[in-house]
Amino acid sequence: MQDFIEINFGPQHPSTHGVLRLKAKLDGEIVKEIEPVIGYLHRNAEKLCEMTFYADNLVYFDRMDYVASMLMESGYLEAAEKILNIVPPERVLWIRVIMNELSRIASHLVWAGAFGLDLGMLTPFFYCFAERDKVLEVFTEICGSRQETNYMSIGGVYQDITPGIVDHIEAFLESFPKRLEEIYKIFVGNDVFISRNKGIGVMSREVAIDYGVTGPMLRASGVNYDVRKAEPYLVYDKLNFEVPVSYKGDNLARFLVRFEEMRQSVHILKQAIRKIPDGPFFNPKAKKSMMIRLRGDGEYYARTESSKGEFGVYIVADGGVKPYRVHVRSPTFKNLSVVQELAKDQMIADMVAILGSVDLVFGEVDR
Amino acid sequence: MSLYSTLLGFFSFLGYPLSNAAAYLFESIFLLLAASLSLVFMIYLFRKYMARVQLRIGPNRVGKFGLLQLIADVFKLVQKESLFPKNRDDLPYRIAPVMVIIGLMLAFAVIPYGSFFYFGSLTVSDTGVSVILLFAILSIMPIGEVLAGISSRNKYALLGALRAVAKDISFEIPMMISVLAIIMMASARTSAPLSIDSIVVTEVLPYGILQPIGISVFLVAMIARASYSPFDMGESDSELITGFSTEYSGMRFGMFYAGLFGSILLGSFVVSLFYLGGFNGPFSGDLGAVWLGIKALILVIISFTVWLSMPRIRIDKFVNFGWKYLLPLAMINLVISGALTLMTGW
Repeated sequence: MQDFIEINFGPQHPSTHGVLRLKAKLDGEIVKEIEPVIGYLHRNAEKLCEMTFYADNLVYFDRMDYVASMLMESGYLEAAEKILNIVPPERVLWIRVIMNELSRIASHLVWAGAFGLDLGMLTPFFYCFAERDKVLEVFTEICGSRQETNYMSIGGVYQDITPGIVDHIEAFLESFPKRLEEIYKIFVGNDVFISRNKGIGVMSREVAIDYGVTGPMLRASGVNYDVRKAEPYLVYDKLNFEVPVSYKGDNLARFLVRFEEMRQSVHILKQAIRKIPDGPFFNPKAKKSMMIRLRGDGEYYARTESSKGEFGVYIVADGGVKPYRVHVRSPTFKNLSVVQELAKDQMIADMVAILGSVDLVFGEVDR
Repeated sequence: MSLYSTLLGFFSFLGYPLSNAAAYLFESIFLLLAASLSLVFMIYLFRKYMARVQLRIGPNRVGKFGLLQLIADVFKLVQKESLFPKNRDDLPYRIAPVMVIIGLMLAFAVIPYGSFFYFGSLTVSDTGVSVILLFAILSIMPIGEVLAGISSRNKYALLGALRAVAKDISFEIPMMISVLAIIMMASARTSAPLSIDSIVVTEVLPYGILQPIGISVFLVAMIARASYSPFDMGESDSELITGFSTEYSGMRFGMFYAGLFGSILLGSFVVSLFYLGGFNGPFSGDLGAVWLGIKALILVIISFTVWLSMPRIRIDKFVNFGWKYLLPLAMINLVISGALTLMTGW
């Protein structure tokens, strides 16, 4: 019988991205077995949603994936608006696409910076956050807050976007691609970075599908599946963009897929910002005085592509002003469960890199 | 004329034995003060430089340009409680940080700093075997790290200490072999090739130019010695919390921190002495110490840049690198320098 060192990573640990706890068994430097323990950030968001009005529930979704709150909001509204039978005007759909893609860029930048920190790179973190801050400035201008935006509302958005904001976004799109390539070079131009990631944490196509992995992680394993293409929502079918796919399945592939996604997001934004049609920015059926009187019936499952993967919201309504049941299919939760498989028989340093490549945000895993 | 003889003359009214003792005492005090001040300055420089690299401003609140920030930090660390884990191995746990800092300060004493105007040579202790002494003292520091890792009875600290040991054994042999090449070259031109001072005097043409492989091996070894990114396996900030120093707090942690920056400074001094001509330069009779300082400062900045731009290498890859690349390279360097010495009489 062999003895292992049992070690506890987290919940307070610099590389677990929040409050993940990993029970690990080590054989020297080799991780023999890990068991993720979650629930340290559980806030009962789904249950709370049953107790509040449809319009108010957005707040809980903001705080799920708090680095990409716009994506969470549009994911919830995708389901809630179907339940409440409210169709947002055309202009709103375009605004939401723009906000989604900005949010996706911000989320991927946070991931890239934190991934660098996991590998011991101190500097790229600040470069990524400096760029992310420009996105957050747009958010501040548009809704007054940086991270938990609470910008969208049922049947529309909270405020219309003005020409000034359009200029701001265009200025960002002007400067961002250059900075993105710079950040990309800092990572990929570094041999040590490549050697730490190439061939590490290889996830095969079958394993990815078995575990229900979605998003950039799935696409890095060679499955061309993106909800934006497979089942277009908002106005993604009117936009021209490509879904990056890698067939290697290792950490580096995940890194490259996410960076290519940021480039595609810029591509989408450049098209969308020119195409915003004129019109109202909310559906009069859902004007502010009506918000708490909206009633819905039936059940609906809406899937959207968040920055982490397929974000599904399932709402069951019983004809009241509050949903009967809300369930969230959290992509990060599914992606986290595969770590157990990937980190087996890897070194501690690689385990941390694999964990970093998953893009964990615990607000979403624990809800 | 040296600092020692100046002090000896100053205290001559005490009679020889006492004045000798007083001269050494004051010299040591000067050294300690200078070393601590340069450490504080280095940490300040690092924080400012890191901030600039990372698009930040850095310390700017305490004192002009934040110059007093480090003093404030030292006072903060002194005031903080030193935590003692319950299951610690008491004596090693207490002496580990002290060993690190003592090893560091002793090493500063054997370095020849060159001369500076009125004071003459600033070298504290000039022995005939300072090369051996220097590397012997340098090997005290890892003992402190290992003791810290084992005695704190923390699994993270233990893993950090294991990594630190694995790292140390894989770069020290190439480092010593590349120093051997220096001694070999110097022995053709001086009768005391084991004294750093006389090695530097022979460096009319810096050895870094004659041994390009040697300087790269030695620089890598010095980065690993100081253990910062990419070779900071001992600490492994994000994986093992802070490795062997995980359980330390207060000034005991501060000693490890000072040890890190001290080894960067020391490494820069040693590299510039062995490979970049040390205190040689125009007007080295008066400005020798300044030349050494400038060379060391440039190396320090290079070290910081490397630190800030590199991710951590995995420990097994570093061990591979040490034995499969550094060691053969150091051997090749030794052979080439031997051939050069034989052929050119250098």
